[in-house]
Amino acid sequence: MTGPGRPAAVTGIGLAVSGLGTPDDLLQPDGAEEAFDPATGLTGRAMRHKDRASRFALRAAADALRDAGLLTGATFAGPASRTCVVVSTNFGNLDSVCTFADTIAEDSVLGLSPLGLPHTSSNSVAGWLAIEYGLRGPNLTVCNGGTGGLDALFWARAMIAADRADVALVVGVEPDTAPVARLVGHRPRLDGAAAVVLESVPHRRSRGAPPRAVITACTHGAALPDAVRAVRGTDRQPVGLWLTPAGPRPGDAASSWCATTRDLTARLGECSGALGVLQCVAGVSYLDASGPGAVLATSADGPDHTAVAALLLTAPGQAS
Amino acid sequence: MSCVITGMGAVAAVGGGPEQIFTALCAGTSGLTKLRAFDLNRYRAHHAYEIDDRTGPGRDEPLRATRWLVDAVEQACADGGLTPAARVPVLLGTTLREQRSVELWWRGEGEVSAADLHFGPALRRRFGFTRTYTFANACAATLYALGLATDLLDLGMADAVVVAGTDAITESAFGTLDRVQNRTPEALRPFDRARAGMLMGEGASAVVVRRDGDGDRPALARIRGVSMNCDAYHPTAPDPAGIAAAMHAAHTRAGLGPDEIDLVMLHGSGTELNDAAEATALHAVFGDAAARPLMTAIKSMTGHTLGGSGLLSLIVAVLSLHRGVVPPIAGLTDPADEAAGLRLVSGTAATAPLRTAQVDAFGFGGINAVAVVERS
Repeated sequence: MTGPGRPAAVTGIGLAVSGLGTPDDLLQPDGAEEAFDPATGLTGRAMRHKDRASRFALRAAADALRDAGLLTGATFAGPASRTCVVVSTNFGNLDSVCTFADTIAEDSVLGLSPLGLPHTSSNSVAGWLAIEYGLRGPNLTVCNGGTGGLDALFWARAMIAADRADVALVVGVEPDTAPVARLVGHRPRLDGAAAVVLESVPHRRSRGAPPRAVITACTHGAALPDAVRAVRGTDRQPVGLWLTPAGPRPGDAASSWCATTRDLTARLGECSGALGVLQCVAGVSYLDASGPGAVLATSADGPDHTAVAALLLTAPGQAS
Repeated sequence: MSCVITGMGAVAAVGGGPEQIFTALCAGTSGLTKLRAFDLNRYRAHHAYEIDDRTGPGRDEPLRATRWLVDAVEQACADGGLTPAARVPVLLGTTLREQRSVELWWRGEGEVSAADLHFGPALRRRFGFTRTYTFANACAATLYALGLATDLLDLGMADAVVVAGTDAITESAFGTLDRVQNRTPEALRPFDRARAGMLMGEGASAVVVRRDGDGDRPALARIRGVSMNCDAYHPTAPDPAGIAAAMHAAHTRAGLGPDEIDLVMLHGSGTELNDAAEATALHAVFGDAAARPLMTAIKSMTGHTLGGSGLLSLIVAVLSLHRGVVPPIAGLTDPADEAAGLRLVSGTAATAPLRTAQVDAFGFGGINAVAVVERS
């Protein structure tokens, strides 16, 4: 199950991560010239009454939509009823859930704010994104552990292939909040969001938007070698960059077909459901800079990595 | 291409399997009780439709939603003759995931790990499924998952798919809803003038979906089409225009006109806003045919089982299509104004020959999904 055989093109990317500036920074060893600062970057009228995850997601989405040429000012200029939203997050609303439980224990429900209601449901980020830009297509929230980011890209592509949408706004977001710190054992962790705009090839062509990359294949399975084999396909695409998290390490056999490996979590910490979308943004950035070969992204779920996802990103070609 | 349902499983406050639930609903039996584990002093609302499976009274425990999900999936696979295998995708819909376990962990009353938050690891351990996807799509989640399952089958990306959903009541969601509702409901009474709001229920539901003609079990129902969209209007309030668009799209996908729908399983969550929006949408889409289909709302007896509620409605619809019996809306004695012109089943179960059913599911974030199924 590597995909429906119809390619989908990436036409925009965006990033809002504490300590990073542009998407190019994802592949730099350290430092960023103008790093995103949540203290100033997550404020403003549109951010009111929203949780930290939603605010990061709105920032990254705005960048990606603008990058794709789909914003006129701050207004969405694409096909609103044919644009779907896919969000991947595992920890997005845990701060609300835990804070509200504390408030009930201390003050009863009378201590709660009615404004918190949307954030009790795990899909609030996707709802806010739809409202902000009037996106009336399918609205999907993937909470699928460590593979969630790549899974979100899989489903965005599937919804385009199934003709449920022409455009997909895909966002991976994990906020750094107190419950997350405790849950991941106080290890370093991401505080931010990444966004990708995916488009059907006919729609991209109809509006003359340049393709930045093509998601050639993606899959979800039990074993890393099988998943990698599946997305590389029968023509065994040469891989210029393999984005892989800590855990499943490329074996020695990889050296013959893979030039470079990179683990984004080495710099960003635990990225959870945002990882796959961050990898996609990093991969597009790599291809933008004319990096050779394809980009392979892999991620895994669970303490024993019993589920893996893989995605192959290639430079735009004639079919994109 | 055509997709069919070949197996079903469910757990709810009123029963531990589809047949038991259907029998209870047709008899008008409700799962309503006083809250079993939450501290009543901290809430205005004191009622819910909980599953009574805690090991001790008055004390909550983690991972109940996961337990029911495993039960429902096991039932559906056995019913559908599906041997769980790594290659079979499992699409899970939920509103609250295991957030109740997170609350207990945060308050020092239980253990949870990040891997428990979604349901994939539990299903891998129990059944060996590895292609699991958890969608947190609020109360439209399982019908969204059903639609995506039909897409996978149509695109040739799977031969069989398990669709399932589950939710356990959390303090944060129950409490915030309690805080927000103007009145304090003692029962969930869709479309009744005396309704006071929504009350949550607990449960899980599961179906096996295959391409028509595949597998060795007879089809229970054909899935004619599933629509999904978003209002992009308000984070919690429904929009009649978005709901109507979802209903219309479902009919178009099904290749059926509104005058060919025999039964409507209403979302019917018991709030004034939902009832008004759903009725407005039904009138807009069905027009003169609005008075034709029988309509019922099982949340009046199961409570709002959140992510799994759409699929639970669908499972009941499939049994209704086969039996020609439709459960009543419990507590519907004085229909609200917007019920005028709709054929709501009240009092006792209705009997009628039925071929097609529309199933509604709407959720926070303004997300809507509507499925149309046909007896096979």
